[in-house]
Amino acid sequence: MNRLSTRLVVRTLGLSLLTAAFLLSACGGAASPVPSQPPAGTGAPAASMSGGTLNVAVKAIVNVDPAQISADSEILVANAVYDYLVDVDANNKIQPRLATDWTVSDDGLTYTFNLTHDASFHDGTPLTAKDVVYTFNRLRDPDLGFATVDLYSNISDIQADGDYSVVFTLKTTNPFFLFDLSDNHALVVKDGTTDFTDFNGSGPFTVVSYTPEDRIEMDASSGYFQSGSPKLAHLNIVFFQDTSAAVDALRSGDVDAVFGLSAPQYKSLQAEAGVQTYLTSTNAFPVVRLRADQPPGDDPRVIKAMRMAIDRQAIFDLVQQGLGAIGRDTPIGPMYQDFYAEDIPLPQHDVAGAKKLLADAGYPNGLDLTLRVPDAQNFPDLAAVLKSQLAEAGFNVEISVEPENVYYGNNGWLEAPFGITGWGSRPYPQFYMDVMLTCGAKWNESHFCDQEFDRQAEIAGTSLDPAAQAAAYHEIQKILIERGPIIVPFFFPQLAATTDQVQDFNLKPFFGRTDFRTVTVSQ
Amino acid sequence: MLEDVAASASTGAFPTQGQRLWRALRQLYAQSPSAFGTTVFMLFLLIALLGPWFAPYGSNQQIVADARQAPTAVHWFGTDNLGRDVFSRVVLGARDILSLAGLGTLVAVALGTSLGLISGYLGRFFDEALMRFFDSLLAMPALLLALLLLGTLGPSRNSVLMVIVVVYTPIVARVVRSVVLTVKSKAFVEAARVQGESLAAILFREILPSTLPALAVEASLRFSYAIFLVASLGFLGVGVQPPSPDWGLMVKEARSYVDQAPWALYFPAGAIALAVIGVNLMSDGLKRVLQAEG
Repeated sequence: MNRLSTRLVVRTLGLSLLTAAFLLSACGGAASPVPSQPPAGTGAPAASMSGGTLNVAVKAIVNVDPAQISADSEILVANAVYDYLVDVDANNKIQPRLATDWTVSDDGLTYTFNLTHDASFHDGTPLTAKDVVYTFNRLRDPDLGFATVDLYSNISDIQADGDYSVVFTLKTTNPFFLFDLSDNHALVVKDGTTDFTDFNGSGPFTVVSYTPEDRIEMDASSGYFQSGSPKLAHLNIVFFQDTSAAVDALRSGDVDAVFGLSAPQYKSLQAEAGVQTYLTSTNAFPVVRLRADQPPGDDPRVIKAMRMAIDRQAIFDLVQQGLGAIGRDTPIGPMYQDFYAEDIPLPQHDVAGAKKLLADAGYPNGLDLTLRVPDAQNFPDLAAVLKSQLAEAGFNVEISVEPENVYYGNNGWLEAPFGITGWGSRPYPQFYMDVMLTCGAKWNESHFCDQEFDRQAEIAGTSLDPAAQAAAYHEIQKILIERGPIIVPFFFPQLAATTDQVQDFNLKPFFGRTDFRTVTVSQ
Repeated sequence: MLEDVAASASTGAFPTQGQRLWRALRQLYAQSPSAFGTTVFMLFLLIALLGPWFAPYGSNQQIVADARQAPTAVHWFGTDNLGRDVFSRVVLGARDILSLAGLGTLVAVALGTSLGLISGYLGRFFDEALMRFFDSLLAMPALLLALLLLGTLGPSRNSVLMVIVVVYTPIVARVVRSVVLTVKSKAFVEAARVQGESLAAILFREILPSTLPALAVEASLRFSYAIFLVASLGFLGVGVQPPSPDWGLMVKEARSYVDQAPWALYFPAGAIALAVIGVNLMSDGLKRVLQAEG
C-alpha cells in the first residue's frame, strides 16, 4: 500500500470514527434497551413485604440545608431524612405528620399544633416543640434571608406551649396557612443546628453515606415515630445528570425508580415489560407571555389575536403527546378542582378573526416578534408549533433558544418582551397571583397591572369562606381570559416509572415530595 | 515542480481551464473512493440547489395526525414528533448547511490565503506576531473556541459564519505560509522583485499560483470540517435556531424522543456523515490529481 492510500485510509477511518462518535453521542440513551428482568413471581407479592432496597435515580444534589434546597432531588433527599409538621398527599389534601392534630381559633389567626411524643432525631435527641419553633423562626428570619421569608412574613409569633404543643399567631387571615407550613423548605430541624452536613433529621431514613455527585445511601430509621414505617430496609439515591441515562439504568435494573420523565420517555416505557409507569396531574405549566406595559402587548387585542390563532388541541397532541391537561390561559388549572372554572368560554380558534383583530390593533401587515425560549423541557418544540400556528394569523415569530442560565440569569427573563417561562406546581393557586400577576409582584414577568384583578386576588388570598374564595378565583380566570397577558397552553403531568417489583408508590405532583415510607420492593 | 506548474499556468502554455477541469474530473473518477466522494458531493450540491422544488412538504409544516410516523411511501424518512416530514427537512436543510459551511470556508480561505501570503513573504516581526497569535487560537480545540465565540456573539446564522471564519482562517494561513516560505526565494519571485513589481503583484500574481494545489486540498478539507462544525453547533443548540431544518439541530431534537421515532434521528445524522465523508474522499482525490499534475 503506498503512502497516499495509507493516509487516505487512516483519514477516512478517523472521520468515520468521528461521525460515529457524533452519532453515538447523539443517540445518548438510545443504545438498545437491555430487557429488564422479569418480575419475581407474577402473582401476589411475597408475604415478607418489609425489607428490600429501593434505588432511586435523580439529579445530583447540591444543597443539604433544608432552608436552602430547591431542586426536586434535594427535596426528595430532605423528605426522606427530615419530617414536615404537616404533609400534603397525592390528592393535594393536608395530612398530619409530626403534628398529630391541630385547632384553629375562630378568628382564623391562631393555630395550635399537637406534636407526636415519639419522634426523635437520628442522634437520639427527642423532637420537641422548641425544635419546631427554631425551624420556623429560622425560615422567617429576614437577617438569614432564606427564600421563605416572604412566605412567612404573615406570622407574628411562634410559641412553644409545653414540650409537645406549638402555637402560631398570624397577622391576617390566610386560608392556605397549612399549605404554607408544608412548604418544601419547612422540614423540622434540631434546635440550634446551623451545619446540616450530618443529616440529623427525625425522618424515616438515616443517611449512612453521602458521596457528592455519586449517591446517598440510607437505612430505615429504627426509631421512627410511626410504627411499621418505613417498610423499606434501604433507600439509595443514585445521581444521574441525564434522565435518559437514568431511564437506561431502569431498563437494565440498576435503579428501581426514575422521576421527571418526558412525554416521549413515558410513552416508550409504557410499552415495555417489567416497567410500571405513573402519571400524576400537576399545576406546572409553561407561560407564553407578551409584556403588557409596552407595544405591541399594551393593546390586549394582540394577545387575544394570538389566543384565537393557536390550536390548543394540536399543541397538546404534538408537544405533550396528549399527556397532562389543556390550559385556559390562567395559572389556575384543573388540579385546583373547586377553584378551577371550565365554563368560562375561551376565544374560539379562528385564524381569519385573529388576522382581523391584529389588523384592528394596528398591524394589518403582520407583526414581527422574537420569542425567547429557555432550552428546557419541551419548550423549543412548543415554540416551533406556536411559530407555525401564529404565522397563519400574520405573526412572524423568530425563535431564540437560550440556555436556561442565560434566559433566567440576571433576571433577564423579567425584561424579555415575548418569552416562554416555566412555572412549577404549587398546592394552591394564590402563589401565582401574589408573585406573578398582581401589580408590581416580584416575578410579574408580563408587567400586568389590573386593579380589578388585584382586588379579586386580595379576596381569594384572605377570605376564610371557601365559597367567596372560589368566586374570586372564578372572577380572576374571567379577567385573565378576557384581558390577561399570558397564554397557558397546557399543564404538565408528573411522570415517573419503576420496575415491576416496586409497590405502593404514590407519585406526587412535586416529585421530591413523594413519600417513600409506604413503598416496598419485592425481592 | 510546483513552481513549474505555476509558471506554465501563468504563461498560458497549458490546456485551457475547461480542459483542465475536465481532465481533473476524469482523474477523480479514476479511483472508486474519490469517485464516490465526488458523486456524493455533487448529489448534495444538486439537492441544495433544487431542494425547494422537490421537497414534498414545507420544513415547518406540521401534520398533527402524522406525528412520529415510521417511513412510508408518503413520508419517505418518516415524520418527527411535531408531524413534520423528515425527508423534506433533510432535503431543505442541505441548502442551509452547505451554504453556511461553504460561505464560511470561502471567507476563511480568502482571509487565510491573504494573511498567509503576506505573513510568509514579509517575514520578520509581522510574521512572528501573526503566527504566535494564530498559534494561540489553534491551541484551543475548535469546538471550545466556537462555543466561546457563540457565547459572546449569541446564537444566529451570522455568528456561526463568524465562528467558521475565526476557527479556520489560522489553519489556512499556516498552510499557505508554508508554501510561500519555500517559493519566495525562487528565481521567478526574485526576478519579479528586481523588475520592481508591486507587493500585491508579487504576492497574488507570482506566488499565489504556487499555493493553489495545496490550497485546493486544504479548502475542500476545511469545507468538510465546516459541515461537521455547523452540525455540531446545531446539535449543541448554540448554532442555527429552531425551527430551521438544520441537520445537527434535527439530531438534537430527535434525541429526546428517539425511542419513539428513531428515523427522525438517523436520517439527518446519516446525511451529516455522508456529506462529511463524501467531501473528504473528494478532497483526497483532489490531492492525488494535483500531485499527479505536479
